[in-house]
Amino acid sequence: MGTDRGVSVRWRRAFGACAVLGLCASWVMPDVRAASPPDVLVVAQSLDDLVSLDPAEGFELSSLEAFTNVYQRLVQPDPDDPQTLVPTLAAGWQSGPTPRSLVFDLRADATFAGGHPVRPEDVIFSLRRAVKLNRAPVFILNELGWRPESIDASLGKIDAHRVRIDWSSNVGAAFVLRILAAPIASIVDEAEVAPHESGGDAGNGWLKAHSAGSGPFKIRRYIAHEALVLDANPASPGDAPRLKTLIIKNVADAATRRLLVEVGDADIARDLGPDQIAALQGKPNLKTVRFPSAAIHYLLLNTVNPGNAALANQALWEAARWLVDYDGIAKRLLKGEFEVHQAFLADGFPGALNETPYHLDVARARAILSAAGLDHGLRIKLSVFNQPPYGDIAQSLQSTFAQGGIDLQILPALAGEVYAQVRARTEEAVWLYWVPDYFDANSTAGAFASNLEDGTKTLAWRAGWHIPQLSRETAAAVQDQDPAARQRRYLAIQAAVQTSSPFVIALQAHAQVVMRASVRGYRQGLDADMVYYDRVSK
Amino acid sequence: MIAALQRLTSLSFTLLGLLLVTFTLARLSPVDPVLRLVGDHASADTYAAMRRALDLDASWPVQFRAYLARLARGDLGVSLSTGEPVADDLERVFPATLELATLAMVVSTAVGLPLAVLSALRPRGVLDGVVRVVSLVGNSVPIYWLGLLALYLFYAHWRILGGPGRLDDAFEYTIDMPTGSVLIDSWRSGQPGAFANAVSHLVLPVLLLAAYAAGNVTRLTRAALLAESGREYVTLARAKGATEVRVLLNHMLPNAAGFIVTVLALGYASLLEGAVLIETVFARPGLGRYLTTALFAADIPAILGGTLLIGVCFVLINGVTDVCVKLLDPRIR
Repeated sequence: MGTDRGVSVRWRRAFGACAVLGLCASWVMPDVRAASPPDVLVVAQSLDDLVSLDPAEGFELSSLEAFTNVYQRLVQPDPDDPQTLVPTLAAGWQSGPTPRSLVFDLRADATFAGGHPVRPEDVIFSLRRAVKLNRAPVFILNELGWRPESIDASLGKIDAHRVRIDWSSNVGAAFVLRILAAPIASIVDEAEVAPHESGGDAGNGWLKAHSAGSGPFKIRRYIAHEALVLDANPASPGDAPRLKTLIIKNVADAATRRLLVEVGDADIARDLGPDQIAALQGKPNLKTVRFPSAAIHYLLLNTVNPGNAALANQALWEAARWLVDYDGIAKRLLKGEFEVHQAFLADGFPGALNETPYHLDVARARAILSAAGLDHGLRIKLSVFNQPPYGDIAQSLQSTFAQGGIDLQILPALAGEVYAQVRARTEEAVWLYWVPDYFDANSTAGAFASNLEDGTKTLAWRAGWHIPQLSRETAAAVQDQDPAARQRRYLAIQAAVQTSSPFVIALQAHAQVVMRASVRGYRQGLDADMVYYDRVSK
Repeated sequence: MIAALQRLTSLSFTLLGLLLVTFTLARLSPVDPVLRLVGDHASADTYAAMRRALDLDASWPVQFRAYLARLARGDLGVSLSTGEPVADDLERVFPATLELATLAMVVSTAVGLPLAVLSALRPRGVLDGVVRVVSLVGNSVPIYWLGLLALYLFYAHWRILGGPGRLDDAFEYTIDMPTGSVLIDSWRSGQPGAFANAVSHLVLPVLLLAAYAAGNVTRLTRAALLAESGREYVTLARAKGATEVRVLLNHMLPNAAGFIVTVLALGYASLLEGAVLIETVFARPGLGRYLTTALFAADIPAILGGTLLIGVCFVLINGVTDVCVKLLDPRIR
């Protein structure tokens, strides 16, 4: 007994000593952390998706955001009003010698970060290399009928400050300007890139990790999967950025990003989950800013899956629209991340249909299924990405579909695996999101409401949705030169997709960005590339 | 000479087999590497062009043979995830892993071995109980959770240690990293405070990895020593009047040394293989994260290059371990 007490006393003393030592250590330990310099902005986000920083090749979210800050295009959306295009490297434009031609006057004072002036040759070089390289985003330029064999004839220098741009597709000038405002139409400095050409790659190998643009920033260093470090470009044709350096750090784990911004080692943390955002609410040194995004989340039913004939039944499509708990997901389950939106054009796009006629109505869904003879233990396999927030959304769907008598079997998988399934049309149902490739209604309408069955794998094709008439209407809409009439066409097309397609369009995403209270001037737009750091100060 | 040749041949076949299995598994992956590069919205024409460029239209044996031919010329290919040559990527990420794993192994050995010896001195004593519980916890608690907890306490709350990343931003992109080791490079940079900053960022990941590795070292070493304690030579030593400490250090420990060295070597090799979760939570570059990202993207050149490097490490560590064990244990010479 006496020995036990002795051991106990010794242990207590030892623990006490450790506690005192620990407190002393934390008291006297010098702060080994160096303060982040005041003219440097540190952004914590995931960069794991980034493959290339060449604007003719990069098509990941991280690279698109970088292009907006490193490169400029002839015209770009106004950051504060993306429906308006503003001349950027162009001073202005007018009709060209043919109805399918535009002539651009280049800004006389525009220079690249390397000091070279922006010339018509640079415009021709940039657009030509983008088409000839034939990389991921080239389909955007292909909308103009540009192909590697025809692009040379479509571009011409008129004089030292003017360049002519022709196109062969039956589209109007307003649409062409929207295409030229896409990141792939960024203008690169030929004089800077040409010396780095290797094996006919048009400088692609070098531009993967370097920059030759005229944007507010230039790449100082890119370390793959670690960080993108940008320095201010004081010679940018816009005003010089307010901060000297922008460090975008790859912090793959959202919980770590939260700690970084909480402590102050990051000024901005992006892509935090609802739990992390909620935990940071009310912190005096932090603020959360919410930006609407053009990302539309939807359920796709593969109507040509041979293993489940019910998927081709329009009654199932209709019932599915009444079996999604739109409000539950947007307002409770993933509060802040989504708004209910039931048409393919995001709110903020010209011509967006903002009516939301559907809500969770199990009784109505059961009646529709019963009338169609689909009320006898219907089973559907639902493929979803195996990452937040898709698991939560899938579980909500599983619960509400079960109330309607449909057994949803959730099949979580890597994003790459899900996309491969959808492309091969082997899935039964899948929850996906869509982000427009350029800021025009055609980018999204061409995906949801066009299935020309000519080998183009649009979303409508992937759903096996046979729509010759609607496809013709979608093609006609892009050719319409009257903006008001064009918007009316898109409203009608959205209504058709909303009420009679194998898509259940449910949610529009909102980006929530947490930043230190001292950070000002951060702007983010609807489209993936619309992230602007040039006006940021802290 | 013949033995060396035999060993070299065996080594070559081992690595070839490793590559073959890895290649087959990577090709069986349901992830489409072309989609990773061109995206889901790309046209069929662009998709087909990229597929041809990656040589994915060829049959698997042809693809594998082409890879081996390039490998024979020292070309590991270009990573699809980073767009950089795989050799350059590995040169960048492996020193970071080597540094972290080596420091963690040193700490785990320095802590784990003495604890195992002390536990074996008094089996089922108070210290033995504490050591067993702590080593079990070290092995059982998810290291991801421990990492976040440690970051929260020591970095965010008490602010006495560096957080994610290898250095603070004031140093991170101004110091050249020719060796890839943040300790060496920050020391050589001469920048005031850089080395201390690097150490402060290393403490938590090293201690957490060491705690994880020490659990194995302690438990297995203790078990080896206890197994030795029942042997006749131990009884004889005790009968001759040797003290318990002397029996343990002079008799049991040398006899268990071969086993202990093997345990340490395997632990080191597994740490080199990559501490994915620690690298992710602490936002540090490393082989584990590199390979994980490559796996998610079906980035076959990166997967094969990384696997080959790990294979070479295992072979080297096994070779060194064999030599050490032979030196320590005359019975198997």
